Amino acid sequence: MTLPAAITPTNKADRALLAFANSAEFAARDLYAVAASVSAFSKEEQVVLIGFHDHHRAAAQALAGMAGSAATNERSDAVFNAFRGRIMGNDKNAIYDTLRELENTLASTHLSLVGTLEGTGAAALVASILNVQARQAATLALLAGRTFAEALTNGAAALTIGTGT
Amino acid sequence: MNRYSRRHVLRLSGLGAAGVLLAACGKQAGVEESKNVKSVGVLPETDGLASVEVTDIVLLRTAASLEYNAIDTYDAALSLGVFAGAFAAVGDIAKRLRDDHRGHADAINGLVTKLGGQPFTCSNPRLNEIYISPALALITDTDTEDPGLDVLVLAHALENLAAQTYQSFVTLLSDKALREAAMTIGQDEARHATVLARALQPGLQFILPSINADTGKPNIAAVPGAFGPLTPILVTVGPVNADGTRSSLTLETPSLNSLAYDSVLCA
Repeated sequence: MTLPAAITPTNKADRALLAFANSAEFAARDLYAVAASVSAFSKEEQVVLIGFHDHHRAAAQALAGMAGSAATNERSDAVFNAFRGRIMGNDKNAIYDTLRELENTLASTHLSLVGTLEGTGAAALVASILNVQARQAATLALLAGRTFAEALTNGAAALTIGTGT
Repeated sequence: MNRYSRRHVLRLSGLGAAGVLLAACGKQAGVEESKNVKSVGVLPETDGLASVEVTDIVLLRTAASLEYNAIDTYDAALSLGVFAGAFAAVGDIAKRLRDDHRGHADAINGLVTKLGGQPFTCSNPRLNEIYISPALALITDTDTEDPGLDVLVLAHALENLAAQTYQSFVTLLSDKALREAAMTIGQDEARHATVLARALQPGLQFILPSINADTGKPNIAAVPGAFGPLTPILVTVGPVNADGTRSSLTLETPSLNSLAYDSVLCA
């Protein structure tokens, strides 16, 4: 029996990509912190938002572990500013929609990373984050009152690596 | 006077005994050589295991087989007519998810063909045998209290299994483009599981992990953690047994004994 090759390590280009993902995840963490502080949300809804906040923080930290010294461990302001202006007011569904767009954008970005990374260990980590963020996007669609068909769809483009837009 | 000392006699008798022993272990004249391992009785002839290789094609064929497991399960569920009453809306979801799986199977088999492999167009026989058939037998048992709910629980578990399988294949596929193609579908399966989790548990309870206050067991969670798990999936379905418990099945991602190798064919 012949088995596939063992897990391959990251190279320098991989670590740069993982560092970018690390900063995008910290931006998502901060955006959820803003959303959780919006008074329109009930305590139960805030628990969900804080839960997703924690997931992004965990993802950022895991990516930092793979990126090593390349990781900045700081949020991408470009990603943060692209969504921040729409997380305010009393329209909860609008905020859920914005967060869904954020999750779908990150899911598309991670998907493109899975197809780019040379290191299979790093690709596996990103794939495991991608699966969670797809779930979070679908959840937010349902919370916003979207149809189940919309929850199954990701129309967001991936972030451009380097600029974060 | 004796020419042989006591020591000399002992040495000669030791040599003699060793010679007899060696002669007994060696080939004997007139006795036909046997292919069997030296043993008491006769062992049957064996062909040995086929030499197999876990290639990208094998992994993709396995993924396609899993898609057919899902298609068949949704078809079976729809034919049972269990999506009524509280689960009336789930029928539409089941049809959409089944159609998605058909699309996934076609896409995966398209990649198999492109790589020079033979498309796999039926459900995984091993997974059918150990997971799907036993689960459906329990669900269709006449004593099962709520078959509609149980079908939904099984479908949710299968979607999670599919999401986990694609995720686990990322480290096994040798081609980066195939990893991306796998996760394009893998994230679809994760979304399927989320929609079914909501159907199983309305309100906000379906989202994060929680404990059922009545049973003390974990509730279904659409988002079970920060990272996609690769852990076994417990499915509890069917009638209540004499001891007050229900049967559980543990679903795991395909392993070496359930891959769709080139030699595995659809009946």
